[in-house]
Amino acid sequence: MSAREEFVSIYRETLPVLLIALGGGLASGVILENLLASVERFPGLLVMVPVFLATRGNVYGALGGRLASGLHQGLIEPRFSWDERLVNAVVASFVNGIGISVVIAVLTRLALAVLGWESAALWEFLAIMLVSGVLTSTVLIFGLLLVLFGGYKAGYDPDNLVGPIVTTLGDIFGMLFLVFAVTLVGVIA
Amino acid sequence: MPSTGDSLGSWSARSIVVTMFPLLIVLSIIVLAAGITLDRAEALLEQYRVLAIMVPTMVGLGGNLGAILSSRLSSRLHLGVATFDVRDTGLWANVAAILALAVTVFTVLAIGSYLLGLVLGFGVALSTLLFIALVSGLSIAVIAVVCSFGATYASYRLGIDPDDLTIPIVTNVVDVFGMLIFVGVSWVVLGF
Repeated sequence: MSAREEFVSIYRETLPVLLIALGGGLASGVILENLLASVERFPGLLVMVPVFLATRGNVYGALGGRLASGLHQGLIEPRFSWDERLVNAVVASFVNGIGISVVIAVLTRLALAVLGWESAALWEFLAIMLVSGVLTSTVLIFGLLLVLFGGYKAGYDPDNLVGPIVTTLGDIFGMLFLVFAVTLVGVIA
Repeated sequence: MPSTGDSLGSWSARSIVVTMFPLLIVLSIIVLAAGITLDRAEALLEQYRVLAIMVPTMVGLGGNLGAILSSRLSSRLHLGVATFDVRDTGLWANVAAILALAVTVFTVLAIGSYLLGLVLGFGVALSTLLFIALVSGLSIAVIAVVCSFGATYASYRLGIDPDDLTIPIVTNVVDVFGMLIFVGVSWVVLGF
């Protein structure tokens, strides 16, 4: 493939997906705008938002990158099956996703304490992160597998799909489940 | 290629977790800085509510562009067609495509946010939003490109599977700098 052809193919394949990601991002922006109202109930919540969203991208971006390379190399098949590699990759990302949610809650509480800023209780942060973490992980893993396999079979380069899928699903569902968790914990607390 | 055969072929759950988890912790600490910026910018976001809507998209798109590039670079490595040579026109085509995509999507972001602002009833001039989106967006895209190359090259040299490393590193760096740059540019433009 010549450089020009490569340029055109990347641009053409990626733009639609990026535009979908953009729409998703704007939707999650509207949710974030609404979340600003809950900040008073849980001081320090805003500090946690970028870390939480970034982790979704980290964990599932890595899973997606791995699956994309696996598909390219023919190491995994583009379908849901009890394939050892596939199961391992999914289990690892679930462990990483939930584990890091707990770490984020603790780190945020610590950072706020060090800065001497007002902060919600540690258990409140933990509960919010766990509820939103588990829900987001589930949606992201299945969403990722579904779109990557479907896209691959339809002839798309999975490399061009991973990033946008992860950020779009991660941002929208991350924010939605975050609002849900904040509401839930707000009711319990 | 150096003796990276083992790490490139590693698909065990344990090794993925052991490789990634410490990195995730370090990255989370770094991104906390972005969160602290966001918390400090609360007053700015409350006055210009359209900016709060732009935040996740701004950062997300920057991360996307970086993720696309690094995923492509690491697949090229896996397939054995990547070279880190400035004469490799394929690499330049990748970079040019990422920058062209950045100009396109950040223009659309400004227009989309402007329209959403109109609907939700908090208007900021389209030209202001375009300026903020393009200046911060292109800066973020350049950082994403540099960082994708750096992370892919580093993990290649270290013999670590780039799939485990590059996307997390790139998206995090973009998260931190994206938030700082976006808030900074908005601050200056709106004279807050």
